[in-house]
Amino acid sequence: MALDHTIPVLIVDDYSTMLRIIRNLLKQIGFEDVDEASDGSAALGKMREKKYGLVISDWNMEPMTGIELLKEVRADDSLNRTPFIMVTAESKTENVIAAKKAGVNNYIVKPFNAQTLKSKIEAVFGA
Amino acid sequence: MTQSVNRKDAMEQPFERVRAYVDARRAGDATFGDVVALAEITAESMQAFFATIDKSIYRELREIAEYITNMRSEIAALHAGELKTDRLPKAGEHLGAIVVATEEATNAIMEAAEAMLAAEGEDEATYKALVNDKVMSIFEACSFQDLTGQRIARVVETLEHVEARIGRFAAAVRTENGGEAPETDRERRARELLLHGPQSRGEAIAQNEIDALMAK
Repeated sequence: MALDHTIPVLIVDDYSTMLRIIRNLLKQIGFEDVDEASDGSAALGKMREKKYGLVISDWNMEPMTGIELLKEVRADDSLNRTPFIMVTAESKTENVIAAKKAGVNNYIVKPFNAQTLKSKIEAVFGA
Repeated sequence: MTQSVNRKDAMEQPFERVRAYVDARRAGDATFGDVVALAEITAESMQAFFATIDKSIYRELREIAEYITNMRSEIAALHAGELKTDRLPKAGEHLGAIVVATEEATNAIMEAAEAMLAAEGEDEATYKALVNDKVMSIFEACSFQDLTGQRIARVVETLEHVEARIGRFAAAVRTENGGEAPETDRERRARELLLHGPQSRGEAIAQNEIDALMAK
């Protein structure tokens, strides 16, 4: 199945630099419809206003962390099917397992390049 | 040893005197005068006992006073005022400046990269000039590393200074490692929900190991 590059993507990170980097990487992969949020609660608000085909979120954010956002999304009947990729600078086994238990679709450790991002997105969509 | 024998005698003698007085008065009814006399005998008799404990209390108080004097000089050696008003605020300023410098440099580099990616329909000479210009911007932006490196060195120096002084103070006052301070709500939330920043090399697992965990 070919990857659909027209899906709206929401990227969530409290560092504007990281948002910019991920936006550019997504653009390089071919995604143009990209929105940004600076923490979990802002992302949740955006997700309730617009249907996103993919969420790419950092873990470490305040006031709502990425893992809290993931749990909120999975507990919401209208959002729980949204593919969710976690991006973090820390990759302890227990963190990966916690994210997987919470329902994450993929997990990327920073720093990463466009090829890694693309392959993880393709894996999520079975492309 | 001698002192403990003296103290034992000093404790026993008053009771012997009181016992003798009470035995002598046992036959008759006790009068008010008897009670006063008994009180005087008791007070006089205890003088010897108090004299022995006075010496040991004095010695202990002198040791405490010496300890407090020593601790005061160690506290003075901490230069807490200097740490609070000078070194720690400066370290904070350095860290804040590092955040700003790295953010500015990153933005400058990304702007240059974005401008090159966005260049379309240019002739070769114009495109080459644009790339040269933007590459020079990237080189300039990378100079942040020198400045932030110097600032980080100053912060490390401050931390080492604080560590050395606290270590010396702890040794001087012979502190044991106390129990941990009670966890605040903010600390509990951070422990439970936040990760603790980039790991050192060797601590993190690689992306392919993460992929294997996700595939299970």
